[in-house]
Amino acid sequence: MKALSSMIMTDIRETMRAKWFLLYCIMFGGAIILLFAFGITESQVLGFTGLTRLLITYIQLCIAVLPIFILISTVRSVVGDRESNILEYFLSMPISLGAYFWGKLLSKFVMVFLPILLALTGAVIWGTIQGLSIPWGLVSYYSMMLASVSWCFLGIGMLISSSVRQQEFALGLSFFIWLLLLLFIDIIMIGILMQRQFPESLVIGLALVNPVQVFRTGAILLFDPELSAIGPASYVILDFFGKTGYLIFAVVYPMVLGWFCSWVGFQVFKRGDLI
Amino acid sequence: MIIAKQLVKKFNGQTVLDQLDLKVAQGDRIALIGANGAGKTTLIRSILGQYQIQGELKIFGKDPRKERVKVLEQLAFVPQHSPPFQMTVSELVNFSNGLSAQSSLRAIIEICSAMGLDIEAHFKKPFVKLSGGMQQKVLLSLALSKKPALLIMDEPAANLDPAGRKAFFHELSKLDEKTTIILSSHRVDEVLSLINRIVEMDCGKIVVDERIGRLSAANEQLSCHVELLEEHPSALKKLKEWDFKAIDGPLIYQGSIAGEDRLRFINSLSHYANYIKKLHIN
Repeated sequence: MKALSSMIMTDIRETMRAKWFLLYCIMFGGAIILLFAFGITESQVLGFTGLTRLLITYIQLCIAVLPIFILISTVRSVVGDRESNILEYFLSMPISLGAYFWGKLLSKFVMVFLPILLALTGAVIWGTIQGLSIPWGLVSYYSMMLASVSWCFLGIGMLISSSVRQQEFALGLSFFIWLLLLLFIDIIMIGILMQRQFPESLVIGLALVNPVQVFRTGAILLFDPELSAIGPASYVILDFFGKTGYLIFAVVYPMVLGWFCSWVGFQVFKRGDLI
Repeated sequence: MIIAKQLVKKFNGQTVLDQLDLKVAQGDRIALIGANGAGKTTLIRSILGQYQIQGELKIFGKDPRKERVKVLEQLAFVPQHSPPFQMTVSELVNFSNGLSAQSSLRAIIEICSAMGLDIEAHFKKPFVKLSGGMQQKVLLSLALSKKPALLIMDEPAANLDPAGRKAFFHELSKLDEKTTIILSSHRVDEVLSLINRIVEMDCGKIVVDERIGRLSAANEQLSCHVELLEEHPSALKKLKEWDFKAIDGPLIYQGSIAGEDRLRFINSLSHYANYIKKLHIN
């Protein structure tokens, strides 16, 4: 436990010094400030206004940016340490492989999720000061969803990082995976459906395994219960899961996928040459 | 302490450790030498449990891969290339100290000070911003302060200035006699006084494994005869440093060396190998 806590604290300190983290905080913290500054809480979309309107916009922003930001910052963890001789030195100390790997993952989770949580908390505090009604259910669910999707992409990032031997390749692979996941979000799927080249079950299956799509659908479901924004796939999803079922799925599935990817990453890491 | 039997390590089909056998006892102080690519670093990393290898390797009777934490608790390592930590010197010291029951801040400060580095003055600086020599001194002090049973160093003095090297070797000489040392180095001459065994690797195998104490008794005087091809000024100067006298013309020299200095003498002349016609030691 001592080694694990040392690794977490060391990695948190390293992250706080990194330029990407500063940019990350500015982007996700600044987004909330900008949304308030531009008076988005006073505008209305689909009947939503106030803090709900702000959160809907914020979650859309997170869907677009969060996965790639997490991937880029995480894929360099193990492979970067390996290339720079940091791993050789760390692993000459009495640190278990689990403490190193999971310590990295946990510290990254804290550093990725904390700014978002603080931004959401800040929005709630500012909304309270402004006299806006606070949609606690939405705030809580979005927080859980963001935590889940963060864990998911951290897991994918750690899997890539422990599997490849060069940082550049790791970055390239993370972009490729992100683009692949983006390709299979609903707009593309609708196109595929329209062309009727694949059975519906395959397309819906792809929607349900794609964490970006699951994240997006879950986020939309809260303010669009009929899922009209995502087209025909919504009928199958809602018939199969129901609204509550899908909301649970949208939090649990990315979390499980993240655990699975990080576990595979750990197996790859500990079974091969460490450096 | 270390038992390696038939170790094999291949990278992309290329054999780097080739059925290597090695036994290291407590108190052995080994200079691990060999050309680049001989397999020294691979052997060290295997001992540290960082590579998957074929064959049997036991450190303190344990598998360094399966029981790596227990092995590493008794071991300290100084790498050839300092890791580019962004963390401050103070954070690195605390991190290292936190993982070792033997280490203490006072010991680290004292060892650094003995090597001419006031580490406290650099506590707030990022480790990576220190000069190469300073980084090496910090890593050496972290390793020495742990009072390890096994100390492994990969070219530890490569970045040190002459004064730093001298101080570092002095610190090493203060280690407990039971401490086992494996020291990978290109310059055997400067570590000769510290070691009692030389292991030379070539193409993944151990080609020379000699105990220095057994080779030459300390009080033994060896007669030595050197014949040069030409009057090379530096070679002549070196022979005079060893108190050799010219006999039978300007190219033939005679002298005597202490048994314990035999390797040091040969090493010092190795730079002038192209100008030596004959070398005879009795």
